[in-house]
Amino acid sequence: MTVERKAPPVLKLDDVAVAYKVRGGEIEAVQNVSFDIHRGESHGIVGESGCGKSTVSWAILNFLGANGYVKRGRILFQGQDLVSKKGEELRKLRGDQIAMVYQDPMQALNPSMRLGDQLKEALTVHRGLGAKEAERRCIDMLERVYMPDAANVMRRYPHQISGGQQQRVVIAMALLNNPALLIMDEPTTALDVTVEAAVLDLIADLRRDFDTAIMYITHNLGVVARVCTKIGVMYAGEMVERGTIAAVYERPQHPYTQGLLRCVPKLGADKASSLLYPIRGRVPPPNSRPAGCVFGPRCDYRRERCIQERPALRTLANGVQVRCHFAEEIDPAAWQPSEEIELPTVKKREEERAPILEVKNLTKYYPVSGSSLKDVLGLGEKRQVRAVENVSFAVPKGATLGIVGESGCGKSTLIKTIIGLENSTAGKAEFLGFDITGDITTRDAKLIQELQMVFQNPDSTMNPSYTIGQQIARPMLRFGVASKAQVRQEVVKLLQAMRLGENYYDRLPRQLSGGEKQRVGIARALASRPDLVLCDEPVSALDVSVQAAILNLLLQVQSDLDTTLIFIAHDLSVVRFFSDSVAVMYLGQIMEIGPADAIYAPPYHPYTEALLSAVPIPDPKAQQKQIRLEGSVPSALNPPSGCRFHTRCPRRPFAPEGGQVCETTAPPWQEVATGHRILCHIPPETLRSFDPVIAP
Amino acid sequence: MTVAQTTAGVSRRPARLQQWWQGISIIFESRVATVGLSIVLFWLIIGLLSLFWTPYPPNSSLFAQNLRPNPTNWLGTDHLGRDIASRLMQGTQVILLKTRLPDGNIVIPGGVAIWGVLGSLLLGSVLGLNAGYRGGWWDQAIMQVLDALIAFPVIVLYLVVIAALGQGDLVVVLAITITGAPGVARLVRSLTLDIKTRDYIRAAETRGENVWYILFREILPNARGPLLVDAMLRVGYAIFAIGTLGFLGIGLPPPDPDWGNMVNDARAGGRLFSNPIAMIWPAAAIASLVIGLNLFADGLREEITRYQK
Amino acid sequence: MLVKDRMTRHPILISPTTLATEAQNIMAENNIRHLPVAGDGKRLLGLITRQQLAMKPDDLGSLNVWEISRYLGRLTAAKIMLRAEQVITISPDRTIERAARILTDNKIGCLPVVEDDQVVIGILTETDMLQAFQEMLGLPSEGVRVTMRMPNRKGEFNKLTTVIAQKGWGIMGIGSFPSPRRPDSYDMVLKIPHVGVEEVQAALAQVPDQEIIDIRTVA
Repeated sequence: MTVERKAPPVLKLDDVAVAYKVRGGEIEAVQNVSFDIHRGESHGIVGESGCGKSTVSWAILNFLGANGYVKRGRILFQGQDLVSKKGEELRKLRGDQIAMVYQDPMQALNPSMRLGDQLKEALTVHRGLGAKEAERRCIDMLERVYMPDAANVMRRYPHQISGGQQQRVVIAMALLNNPALLIMDEPTTALDVTVEAAVLDLIADLRRDFDTAIMYITHNLGVVARVCTKIGVMYAGEMVERGTIAAVYERPQHPYTQGLLRCVPKLGADKASSLLYPIRGRVPPPNSRPAGCVFGPRCDYRRERCIQERPALRTLANGVQVRCHFAEEIDPAAWQPSEEIELPTVKKREEERAPILEVKNLTKYYPVSGSSLKDVLGLGEKRQVRAVENVSFAVPKGATLGIVGESGCGKSTLIKTIIGLENSTAGKAEFLGFDITGDITTRDAKLIQELQMVFQNPDSTMNPSYTIGQQIARPMLRFGVASKAQVRQEVVKLLQAMRLGENYYDRLPRQLSGGEKQRVGIARALASRPDLVLCDEPVSALDVSVQAAILNLLLQVQSDLDTTLIFIAHDLSVVRFFSDSVAVMYLGQIMEIGPADAIYAPPYHPYTEALLSAVPIPDPKAQQKQIRLEGSVPSALNPPSGCRFHTRCPRRPFAPEGGQVCETTAPPWQEVATGHRILCHIPPETLRSFDPVIAP
Repeated sequence: MTVAQTTAGVSRRPARLQQWWQGISIIFESRVATVGLSIVLFWLIIGLLSLFWTPYPPNSSLFAQNLRPNPTNWLGTDHLGRDIASRLMQGTQVILLKTRLPDGNIVIPGGVAIWGVLGSLLLGSVLGLNAGYRGGWWDQAIMQVLDALIAFPVIVLYLVVIAALGQGDLVVVLAITITGAPGVARLVRSLTLDIKTRDYIRAAETRGENVWYILFREILPNARGPLLVDAMLRVGYAIFAIGTLGFLGIGLPPPDPDWGNMVNDARAGGRLFSNPIAMIWPAAAIASLVIGLNLFADGLREEITRYQK
Repeated sequence: MLVKDRMTRHPILISPTTLATEAQNIMAENNIRHLPVAGDGKRLLGLITRQQLAMKPDDLGSLNVWEISRYLGRLTAAKIMLRAEQVITISPDRTIERAARILTDNKIGCLPVVEDDQVVIGILTETDMLQAFQEMLGLPSEGVRVTMRMPNRKGEFNKLTTVIAQKGWGIMGIGSFPSPRRPDSYDMVLKIPHVGVEEVQAALAQVPDQEIIDIRTVA
């Protein structure tokens, strides 16, 4: 127990405003941001995109580019003003005392240098250590960040290790110089949930051991709850709420923070019992922020004073700072959704319906050509990537099947095979009674029309060269859903169903926000009136409030049109919320499949259990089991024998023969309840005996 | 009432004219592009003017030989006593404004340089799109042939084409097309490789669209920005090539004056020393037009990429 | 308890080109008395304390107002700092009592903590030592603080702890000192939480050969 001493903060921002010079004036991207970070503290900065989170970090490092500058305020690092510093002095500070970790680890790694050489450089150049000593230190540090086989990693090139490992190397590199301040900008956003969990554990450990001050930028409220001690919520360039994690999550005071927390589905919540409440409107661009409270136009509690007067950041009784005039009067428990929010009406389905899509032992292999002389001559051994193997499931009409799994588990290949972008290698797949094992060229136009897809990336889902109307009209005309004369009318009808006005018909995609583009993408998929829509991560690139709106929209569409959906996502809470049944995939195989509520409660497949325990939960008080998987997903070129998960399975000792069997024999399907199957050697009784991942 | 509409505001259907103006106004954001465009426009206007009026008939020897610039002949006269200013004006036509077909006196609008570049764009795009989108053997075959073509020095290719087909405007067009196509194809291929990974291409595929629709309706329109810039540069190269061919005496056939030819005439037989001025004018004309196009293309590229960010 | 556990990590460092006036500001604003001067790679170049900032009257006496401001404008940390050769440093793996010894022996107020050829990784000041001392004796938590005097021989401490253990109490702070002017005995200061003075007094009074010198409840 140490006595809290009044040490000066490592980083202190004092009423900082950042402006960019643009054509015809300048834009204040960030205004009145003040916060401080002490030694050994990790301060989360959250908010939707466009709220100025990253701008703040760039301002600290003076990376604002040619047209950006700190317009007002002071940025004090260790008591010294960074704003006035430039050139050599600033470079030295950045090199020696401030380190950064970004979302993409490859930004920080030189692809043409061995990792060891890059790591050692920091020590040999800056500290003048000998090569031997530097090598030893680097290996120590790599082991410190839980890098398996550290000595070997030193000799590799960046592309030879996985994304999660790359990020660890970057973190190790950042820590080698023992920085006073570590700035992390979405460091785990590009990583799988299991890897993310391990990296987050690592960050929490390092903060304690190195006494480093961490500024952690993310959009994910769950991540903040796990690694941070304090949180600052940013909205439209301002800090709207700031306090300790416990205080803010226990009782969020600002309407925006409350709104954000209502947008994310709780792990375990489903669509039948709960609703998502998107925040209406969207973040105003920096040049058209409202006078008065910036959140005013989207706030459910707006009063006259909010329009007139910009609230100041003030400290409440519980130590939380809030930028709201009426924070004390707002009771989040008494909140009612505003009438402007569209909420879906989900009908309960009673009867069991006939499957519309039936897949049996579907398999997809990709041939790989090696690069050795033997391979070129065609003499080499034929090798195959086993992307999908023996996948079987059925989707009843009007239901939603969610598919989850780490990247590289084959969920995208599975979808591509179903929609016909790839043909299948073996197995059976029937859609509406028609065979769909061949690729799209072998299919009838009628069949193509019934199978459509919604894509992940809103920025590339629409062709930038055509108007929204033209792009939605295309499938209608192609499949003869509407004649040329009525097509405009039909498109407008569909746009309206997507809550977009007729005026969107003539707009170009670049004039739309991400959420609107995604709506149009859904409209295009629905234009041919398909029976089955495949959604490939439709909301993962969107901000939480937009994500909630899109999920609601999909629910409404499904209940109106009785569309069947297959829904891929890596966010397990979203899948749980959205799906009727869930399939968990690992290395091309389904490990567990069953009704959504059954998947999220014991008995679990050990892999499902690990996935669930890795999910960041936006509640600092949640009691979550800590199961972390070792290593990374093995190559699909040469998957492990027996059970594919045996190399990483934390529950293997529970299997018969102490886990020997997992290595040698493929596990059987065990039906633990009606429709709930688990691919595992461990007897169901044992699986049932494990505690739930999240303590109730 | 919808979520999106609250901020979207009232319906506005952007007028075509306004969109056009928006597109064009990009040019004036960049000083470089504006200067470039001015130079190009200057020569265009000179060329258009020469269709109706030149100070003197460009091909008749009305004056004394090798005159220095004077009030009658603004830019002097050449070794046959022809007015250089008039010839220079007329010289813009074959490059930018008209192409003479071989039989008879039929003339089609659009200069040799323009047609040549359009030809290489068309050929290059078809090849590049197919190579990039289909990949595999298509890619291998197309790119190998084009690479082989690139391996030849451009001037040798010109000589081969002209030696095989004889002199004529269309031959020069063809020569420019063939030498330009590999470059365009490479550009289009690389753009296609990028664009084909986009989700909207996946969407077209899942609609079962045929390949040509995807190539020309989905991919090509999105490659137009870089292609436009490339085309500008290529017009410059083409003008340069025409000048070179004229200088070698195998360019555009007479009677129309050709800048390259003019340079050669002014140089030949030791005239370079007796009347150096006569050579400077056409050389300067070629240089300024090429530089103008280059500046324009550069400025445009800068603005387009800035807009994309 | 080693230096690396008690030192302040990531101390504020200034570069040799920082102006003396700015150094003074930094010290005042952050309420610190010692400011290491570091070059590339946080390598120690010197140290500035209040002493270095005190102007010698002789230096200034001869200057007029304008000259003073010009003089100050050029006065960098490099010019006034105590050079690295003169600065006594310590490595992070030494014990804190050794560090305290170095502080008292040299009558100095701080020790920059360096590793790898003068790379500053922390600073250990008198304040840190006093802080350690407080925590050793169980501040700031509440409890009964008792001073026991015991003869300097084996087994005495064991007698004391046995009694405490039998009672089921814990010890949250402990320190032993040679008794003043009594070379044959030791004074042991203990802090025991969650008990009353009377209970402790009753229990410890029974320890043979030992006496309670002082007992009180403290926070």
